[in-house]
Amino acid sequence: MEALRLFARGVVATAVLMLAVPAAAQPPAPPDMSGFWINQYTPDLSAALGKQPPFTEFGAERWRTVDTAKDPTGFCLPVGPSRGFTAPFPFLLVQHEKMIAIMFEYQSIWRAIYMDGRTHPDDLADYPYFMGHSLGRWEGDTLVVDTQGIDERSWLDTAGHEHSAKLRLTERFRKTGPDTIQWSVTYDDPVYFTRPWSIERTFTRGKPGDRVLPYTCNENNKDVEHLRPNQPNLKYKHVPEPPAAKKPPGEY
Amino acid sequence: MQRGIAAALVAIGIASSGLSIAAHHSFAAQYDREKPITLKGAITKLEWANPHIYFYIDVADRGATVNWAIEGGAPSTLYRAGWRKDSAKVGDVVTIDGFLARDGSKLVNMQNAVLADGRKLFVGTQTYYTKGR
Repeated sequence: MEALRLFARGVVATAVLMLAVPAAAQPPAPPDMSGFWINQYTPDLSAALGKQPPFTEFGAERWRTVDTAKDPTGFCLPVGPSRGFTAPFPFLLVQHEKMIAIMFEYQSIWRAIYMDGRTHPDDLADYPYFMGHSLGRWEGDTLVVDTQGIDERSWLDTAGHEHSAKLRLTERFRKTGPDTIQWSVTYDDPVYFTRPWSIERTFTRGKPGDRVLPYTCNENNKDVEHLRPNQPNLKYKHVPEPPAAKKPPGEY
Repeated sequence: MQRGIAAALVAIGIASSGLSIAAHHSFAAQYDREKPITLKGAITKLEWANPHIYFYIDVADRGATVNWAIEGGAPSTLYRAGWRKDSAKVGDVVTIDGFLARDGSKLVNMQNAVLADGRKLFVGTQTYYTKGR
């Protein structure tokens, strides 16, 4: 009898708990970012940053001597994961609980952002992607995407900022209105940069009925035979950033 | 004053047209901003194709006819700016302002083009869909 009373009390307590916290236990549904979006064209990331990124000595020398005739996209090689979002062409975003697909008009190329909790493959460094391997998760209303395994042959922009195979991108997508997404991207590459650095851009929703248009880069790429060596940064002087000031003990 | 406005318009034209090629690769790797050129001739062929449109014009040159290649913007960008692949036809006479290719070939990057009746052609590539910076 005592056992039955205890059981009944347990059932009631559980029911009360279930009634009391259903809203709090369920995370809010993530915002719907699906649609046709227009990039903010950014041919030179340093223009968005307001200065050159914090180059290592190696990164600075690569920038000083870069030959823009060797831009991989000039040869129709894939644009890379972040440059797809800074080119002057729109993209489609298709959102699913377990995956988000980005379909760029530029080069008719795509990115898959896996949302199912998987990790990066162990052999990613041996089999890199030009567009990188991307894992996404929701942090509140913000989509956070970690991208690694980015083929070092891709460039970060048209101006000629390069990267190594160690590049790791962290992107944050946040809707700032029904028709705008704020996109911030952090470039972390210890070979080229002394510390991670970030820029922020805005995507604007297209008009109803907008569609992506054909862009098959190799259809008629006659430019390639006319490219000639072009090194616009030979006068660049590298000034390393001063080391971060050490905080006195006891200060945080 | 007139000249000032014209110069400003040319500057805008250069900036917008330069954008269209800058997506694909650096302008200066292919063309020379120090070598502007104006050409007039009849269109012999049009290639509405990616990554950039090309068309060809016959230009009279000291008694001979020279066929020049003219490069314009990306088809999708031009389409959204209202241009179509039949906006120009073989035989149309067009005057081109642009910059010479650095490799010395008969190739020009088009900054401005005007048909014989005064209509512009394949210009205004900076649209809502390619707004910059």
